[in-house]
Amino acid sequence: MTTDQHHSVTGGAVKSTAVLDDSENLLSIRNLKVVYNSSIEAVRDVSLSVSAGKIVALLGANGAGKSTILKGVSGVLFTEDGEIENGSINFRGENISELMPDLIVGRGLVQVPEGRRLFAPLTVHENLVMGGHLVGSKVLAERLEFVFELFPRLKEKASHISGYLSGGEQQMVAVGRALMSDPKLLCLDEPSLGLAPQIIDEIFKVLRKLRDENGASILLVEQNAHRALEIADYAYIMENGRVVMDGAADALANNRDVKEFYLGLGEASEGKSMRDVKHYKRRKRWLS
Amino acid sequence: MNYLIQLTATGIAIGAIYGLIAMAFALVYKSTGLINFAQGEVAMMVAYLTWAFAGQFGSGLIGVAVFTIVAGMVLGLVIERLLIRPMMGEPIFSIVLVTIGLAVILRSLVLLIWDASPHPMGIEAASELIRIGNLNMRAGQVFVIGLMGALLVASWAFFRYSRYGIAMRAVADDDRTALLMGVNTARVQAVAWAASSTIAGMAGVCFAALYDISPDIYSIGLKAFPAAILGGLDAVLGSAFGGIIVGLIENMTGGYMSSTIKEISGFVLIVGVLMIRPSGLFGQREIERV
Repeated sequence: MTTDQHHSVTGGAVKSTAVLDDSENLLSIRNLKVVYNSSIEAVRDVSLSVSAGKIVALLGANGAGKSTILKGVSGVLFTEDGEIENGSINFRGENISELMPDLIVGRGLVQVPEGRRLFAPLTVHENLVMGGHLVGSKVLAERLEFVFELFPRLKEKASHISGYLSGGEQQMVAVGRALMSDPKLLCLDEPSLGLAPQIIDEIFKVLRKLRDENGASILLVEQNAHRALEIADYAYIMENGRVVMDGAADALANNRDVKEFYLGLGEASEGKSMRDVKHYKRRKRWLS
Repeated sequence: MNYLIQLTATGIAIGAIYGLIAMAFALVYKSTGLINFAQGEVAMMVAYLTWAFAGQFGSGLIGVAVFTIVAGMVLGLVIERLLIRPMMGEPIFSIVLVTIGLAVILRSLVLLIWDASPHPMGIEAASELIRIGNLNMRAGQVFVIGLMGALLVASWAFFRYSRYGIAMRAVADDDRTALLMGVNTARVQAVAWAASSTIAGMAGVCFAALYDISPDIYSIGLKAFPAAILGGLDAVLGSAFGGIIVGLIENMTGGYMSSTIKEISGFVLIVGVLMIRPSGLFGQREIERV
């Protein structure tokens, strides 16, 4: 009973009204429903928002629908037979759910895709130039300078074929590439995936720096809830295509259920008994 | 010795025509992942259109050149818009079959509109003899070698330095991620089709100017396809070199052996090369990090 009360404090009933009233949101997604192949529901009734200058984390296990949301936001669902069946995606006061991906990038919303997806045969420099595909050559030069300052290692490796870089360097190129167009909102899909802990530190330090020093707004999709909650301001937790919990990142990090099921720590994990699991399942049913 | 030099020079000339069409194959393959089996037919169609144009408005070289480029571009864009783009998202195999259908249609169209007998192209300048030392070349042969050289340099610089060229390579590598970078991939692919048809059309016109125009010009596509495979289907420059190699070998075997061996020599070479290097001489091998 106590946990249920706790849950409503961090999110629950409060979320829908609190979030809807916020008119300063850079991105606000309302009641989004995404269907693949006209039959498989990947995301249902998801509402979330990102306000300017904040890092918002979207957490959840594999297959929860996090990446699908990012694909919907970037307008590339059609490449996988996906379709937004319901709901709206507002970016800077404009509904972008019907726009083609190049126009969405032009509006200032850029994504770092899962698994980095560099153009492997191209050099680091060429990859970065691709990221600035839509900006003029003067801005391109400025942004290149900015990215090299952020990741000095990329400057050394500028003429290397990106496919041969280490995983961490590739992730730096992927983040740098997305920053080339000077985005208003940077979306990252699992930037920590498959990277060594020090590299994750480095990447997340850069994200924090971007927010604190450059006022960047970031939507961070992560499985690594622990890391994400460390730098995020606000977070949403997804399960089976729905948002099941949301709240300020520090509150979520201290939430008993989050600790147990996403962070794997706290007193609850020590005496993990069947009773707790049953409790979780019951609560999950109630939440969905 | 003189004979060898003569064979080499004319071999490079015919190889340049194959090379141009091979470049056209590679351009479409590189940016869309498709093999356009109608590439030879596109070359033929542009040649016929240019012949009709020259018959109507005279065969001034500049006029013919401009018309060839425009006809090639328009034909490429029309094919892309009408046949290829609606097939986007279908299996590659189906789209390739569409290009085979297109090949048959273009061949029949030529027979329907014009006729089956060969005609002189009517560009006299192409057959003027040029003597370089004691080498006899026709002006058209020299021109086509120069043309391919110029296009080689131009496309190398384009893919290496221009932002649109880099975007084309990016689309070739991963079009979904290119979308996320703000590239309008459909437009990039349309440009690739236009460029490919223009280059193929130039080759077709040059061939027709040298050897008369006839409905079997399309068969240069059959020679150029192995050339593209030899050079590496995804390597635009490599394909051009593949064309030169096939042209040279054909001419050498034709000159020193017999004309029947000439016909198969290129293919024998290709089988040999592909067994050793499956991705062609200059093709990109999959990047793998260990």
